[in-house]
Amino acid sequence: MTDIPYQLPGIPSAAYSDILGRIAIPVIAVVAAFLVGLVAVMAMGVPLDRAVSAFINGAFGSAYSISASLNRSISLALVGIGFVIAARAGLTNVGGEGQIAMGGVFATALCLAPGIAELPFGLSFIIPLVGGAIAGGVWGAIAGFLKVRAGANEVITTLLLSFIAIWLLYWSVQSENLLRQPMTSSATLPESLSIPASTQVPLLTGSYTSPVTWGLPLTIVIAIAAAIILSRSVFGFNLKAIGFNPVAAARAGIAVGAGVVTALFVAGALGGLAGALMLQGEQYSLKAGFSSNYGFDGLVVGLLARNSITGVIAGAVLFGFMRSGGISMEMMASVPSALVGIIQGLIVVSIAGAAYFLDRRSAR
Amino acid sequence: MTMELFVVFLASSVRLAIPLLFAATGEYVSERAGIVNMSVEGMMLTGAFGGALGTAMTGSPYFGLLFAVVIVLPVALLQSVLTNTLRANQVVTGIGINILVLGLTTLGYRQFFGNRSREMITGFNAWSPPFLGDLPVIGPIFHQAGLAYLAVAIIIALAWFMSRTGAGVALRAAGEDPHAVAISGVPVITLRHGAVLFTGLMAALGGAFLSIAEIHTFTEGMTRGAGYLAIVAVIFGNWKIWRIVLACLLFGAATALQFQLPAIGVQLPNALLIMMPYLLALLAVAGLVGRQIAPRALAQPFWK
Repeated sequence: MTDIPYQLPGIPSAAYSDILGRIAIPVIAVVAAFLVGLVAVMAMGVPLDRAVSAFINGAFGSAYSISASLNRSISLALVGIGFVIAARAGLTNVGGEGQIAMGGVFATALCLAPGIAELPFGLSFIIPLVGGAIAGGVWGAIAGFLKVRAGANEVITTLLLSFIAIWLLYWSVQSENLLRQPMTSSATLPESLSIPASTQVPLLTGSYTSPVTWGLPLTIVIAIAAAIILSRSVFGFNLKAIGFNPVAAARAGIAVGAGVVTALFVAGALGGLAGALMLQGEQYSLKAGFSSNYGFDGLVVGLLARNSITGVIAGAVLFGFMRSGGISMEMMASVPSALVGIIQGLIVVSIAGAAYFLDRRSAR
Repeated sequence: MTMELFVVFLASSVRLAIPLLFAATGEYVSERAGIVNMSVEGMMLTGAFGGALGTAMTGSPYFGLLFAVVIVLPVALLQSVLTNTLRANQVVTGIGINILVLGLTTLGYRQFFGNRSREMITGFNAWSPPFLGDLPVIGPIFHQAGLAYLAVAIIIALAWFMSRTGAGVALRAAGEDPHAVAISGVPVITLRHGAVLFTGLMAALGGAFLSIAEIHTFTEGMTRGAGYLAIVAVIFGNWKIWRIVLACLLFGAATALQFQLPAIGVQLPNALLIMMPYLLALLAVAGLVGRQIAPRALAQPFWK
């Protein structure tokens, strides 16, 4: 298959349209989508104040809900940062979902492996985190390798690899030879054993009333590092050169193939880390459907951020808090959380559509 | 495996391939015109929802089918305007539409079916064509819903249209070199709008087949990746219509095997069979199974 040059939005243009694109359009889209959501709530005959207060309570009404929302935002942010790094090299990583799954599978395997839980100095939870990240990274790097070797379009390969990973995860929790907990009765659920306490990522506050994990500061550090690497390092510059024109980059002596594989490895590793954090910081056991669309939502966060790490953080916080609010709205006000999907979909579609008015000049 | 079981297996392979056949041939037309619709998943889901809703309201599966098409057209139009008029990123708008439509159909399902969600809707009954259905041994393979024969008719007509008509050639050229097409005086954007709307029509039929002819009800997110599998069939079929048809049949067979293998006492992990289509497609794009040639302008917006 021949390589398909992929048109990404977000080629820097004039400062004016930058401000418009990065702030005004997303804000308008978010506000408009929420208004549609409010109208839908009214149309369903649910008292507006009840739905709104349930949403707010679930999203940031208590220390607990803020923590839960932040834990969700972390996963989205990591996938989004990875997306932006790959996008810098002109690569579209659609594989977040599978990279999360692989991270989850390998983190579970390591957490449950004999001896790991007894390791000192926090290694008991650090090794599974690193292992999960490497698993996700390898999953991403496969797509990079196939692109360099066979010219396979990474949009297609990362998507296919995602589905393969999702079913590998399903397989591993269905089979006792892999990660499924021992069957003691016919009612034994198809999921892994709970991971030992020492392999769980410690809570920042140490208290389950605000269960935000050390994943939060880790993600902030990663975000800052990514921003610096992309804008200030040789590696970041090389990625940019590859993204603009791989042929010219190769002529200038940049190792294009290695750059492509590395970019997708890093993107995949961040997805894998997100998966490991979801397992070790939140879910504590592996089940089918583990990745629950965080990969696709993270991809959307990355794309809407228009190549900016700050944008990724903003989008991840928004989507993370919306997920929490939606779940609470379903439980407390019996408004289906599907409504949050509608609002998210509207935000994505309208921001992506609005890119036209920003890219018109630069794309011509 | 006895001959009888084998024929049952073939018949269910074909039945399971039909929704894919509709959606994949629809997606094939778009991709040949240069457009990837990730939203084919959402369009199928909408079609399944519309089909079930229309049938439940009127008691007529024919009306359900019509309603499926009517309700999918705005979704296809949204994708088409985003892709062709606004030149938005095709992958992200497609995924956005899928998120949106999953929400809308789930909400709609709770609103309209809420209390009677377990009720079955009247569906299409399978039908045996004269002569073919009477054949000894293999006759049961042809015992399919009438929609299956509609799919065959559409695919034959489409194969002729794409290779033998001026519009078909222009459409394929729009996916290879849209600028050359524009210079020769053919409106590329109009062609591409038409292609996406056709994908919507076919995805609607495929989705409606799932809810009306197969499951006889709607469930939340019931397509569960069938639309993505259709895209995979287009890739594995190397963007050629007859190979896509074969890919769909192969994927149908892989699904049918999940139910057949335990019956004959073969223990193979389900996941491995479900994974097979994606794995095969990955090997294909990796160049390990023949050479894949995607349309050259695939997923690129067209600017005059």
